[in-house]
Amino acid sequence: MEGQLNSRYVELNMGPQHPSTHGVLRLKLLLDGETVKNVEPVIGYLHRNAEKICELDYYCDSLIYFDRMDYVAAMNMEVGYLEAAEKLLAIEPPERVKWIRVIMAELNRLASHLVWAGAFGLDLGMITPFFYFFEEREKILNLFTEICGSRQETNYMSIGGVYQDFNDKIIFKIKQFLKQFPKKMEGAYSLFIKNDIFLSRTKGIGILEPEVALSYGVTGPMLRASGVPYDVRKDAPYLVYDKLNFDIPISKGKDVLARCIVRFEEMRQSVKILNQALDKIPDGPYFNPKAKKSLMIRLRGEGDVYARTESPKGEFGVHLVGDGTVKPYRLHVRSPAFKNLSVLPFLSRDVLIADMVAISGSIDLVFGEVDR
Amino acid sequence: MPYEVKEEAGKDGRKIFLIQKENFLELMTDLRKQGYDHLSLITAVDFRDRIELVYHLQKSASNFELLTVRTVTYDSTIDSVTSIWESANWDEREQYDMMGVVFRGHPNLKRILLPEGWVGYPLRKDYDLSKNQYVNMDDEGNDRVSFDPGDGW
Amino acid sequence: MKTGDAGFITTTLENALEWGRSNSIWPFTFGLACCAIEMMATQASRLDISRFGSEVFRNSPRQSDLMIVSGTVTKKMAPRLKRLYDEMPYPKYVIAMGVCVIQGGPYNQGYSVVMGVDRVVPVDVYVPGCPPTPEALTHGIMLLQDKIRKREGK
Ligand code: SF4
Repeated sequence: MEGQLNSRYVELNMGPQHPSTHGVLRLKLLLDGETVKNVEPVIGYLHRNAEKICELDYYCDSLIYFDRMDYVAAMNMEVGYLEAAEKLLAIEPPERVKWIRVIMAELNRLASHLVWAGAFGLDLGMITPFFYFFEEREKILNLFTEICGSRQETNYMSIGGVYQDFNDKIIFKIKQFLKQFPKKMEGAYSLFIKNDIFLSRTKGIGILEPEVALSYGVTGPMLRASGVPYDVRKDAPYLVYDKLNFDIPISKGKDVLARCIVRFEEMRQSVKILNQALDKIPDGPYFNPKAKKSLMIRLRGEGDVYARTESPKGEFGVHLVGDGTVKPYRLHVRSPAFKNLSVLPFLSRDVLIADMVAISGSIDLVFGEVDR
Repeated sequence: MPYEVKEEAGKDGRKIFLIQKENFLELMTDLRKQGYDHLSLITAVDFRDRIELVYHLQKSASNFELLTVRTVTYDSTIDSVTSIWESANWDEREQYDMMGVVFRGHPNLKRILLPEGWVGYPLRKDYDLSKNQYVNMDDEGNDRVSFDPGDGW
Repeated sequence: MKTGDAGFITTTLENALEWGRSNSIWPFTFGLACCAIEMMATQASRLDISRFGSEVFRNSPRQSDLMIVSGTVTKKMAPRLKRLYDEMPYPKYVIAMGVCVIQGGPYNQGYSVVMGVDRVVPVDVYVPGCPPTPEALTHGIMLLQDKIRKREGK
């Protein structure tokens, strides 16, 4: 067909600056009328060489690049990196720190899902829920500001500990927040789930069979919405998740609606985890004396480790190789959104353009993490 | 088994298989048949004289238990596993982009994160960070990479 | 005014125009990375940016007159940014939000990040921070309004 005029198919370029691509995704579409025949995602518009810079910095400095990978869930990224780094450097955080990390990670999971829900609503043309979700998120960020002094890119945890201890006031404030949160969330959720337009735009769209999902490396809420109950918090528990009582929501729907429902159910589970953790948090030191601030840049690591954690997008893995110096030799990140995005061409074959927007919205893309 | 697999335990207790590059594809095919249906991550590590490739596999039937397969290549080529796991497609493109590992049999081996035409493989240890490269766009929207700033910079 | 009444009238008209312009800045959503989320927060409930007449975020460069570059500009993105800037109608303004956009920020040792968006497009107001808080961005917009009213740089 080279050089011939092909009037049946139209090529359309969407992005890299487009309101519904959640950042800087470029999609090359091949269209037959309004039906998508083929999609080719072009990524890399936010490739910020984080992996290279981590090799040039000390172990403790790499944390800030992890904050900025999945920038709406900075705490979860920090937990992911520290799981690997602490294994490599053989530093065990004290018990209280583990609980604090769980609390912060779950709070940030809530914030991340709230951002997703707001943006997903915008994708489907609903502006109202956005304001409700962001209002709740704003409250979480206020808590973060109080605990660690920063709103979004918190840089709160450090190797072997956290930068500041929790006090009773903080715990009280988080409890206060959790008391009103479920009601507010359910209210905004009903804007989604009781809306006929929303249902008809999401039901039966973007069906992902579990075998396909596994073969493409899809994880997280997307995989669970296809009926595979894989959650690192349950299957390979880290921190203190094995001492907490929670469920892994799965759905048999396999479609966009199922992913939405699974994410909201996850928020309810996070609230459950938070309530338990706030009651059970033990007393003790908040950092390991082996990794005091003055000793931090002298930590040396050798060998290689791989740690996986559950970020709001899916399985977040960090492969860290040390050569006995104070800097990492190689650091590689398994970013869940990167893998989840790779299934988009498969999902959007022979669907309408509008449905493709719904599908890509349901993946929960964050480009800091896809491109790194 | 017609080939030899060395098994060892990693620093963090995970199971590691060491395999010769020649038998690599056979082992991977066998592992897929044994139920390792989730390829989690492909990492290439540059040791200057050789490149080590690390594959992390998971088995969905038994709680996604982790298995690491490790192999070494001296000429930066390795067989592609895209025919076994779909997810290898983007992973291998990323490693090609960053490390310059050529995956034999990959259907679409081109750069994924950096623009086409970029010189060098940035995550290699001998990549020269002091030389700046600039990207310009032509009328069709394709990238043009060059060492001189040119128009618009 | 020395030149007479007509001169007097034109100046006031221009002043009125600039006043109107400064209170109806339509930003172009140029969200690239982490800072974009804070830009969204500026637009959302707590720090309602519409109090300053800038609530109409446009997705098309042709309808907007302020580009808030929020997030890291990579080398691959820079030519696209320039093209979108060129497509905006005059008068147009640029706010550089976040240290990445100002000088490369945390990524300035690397190979693929542009060391400051002012190498690609001219910038009117710099808002430092990583990420700047929504309050800081609001302050930046107010500074820009001042600048427009005083007609600096004209
Ligand atoms: S300035 Fe900081 S928060 Fe903003 S885009 Fe850059 S790294 Fe992200």
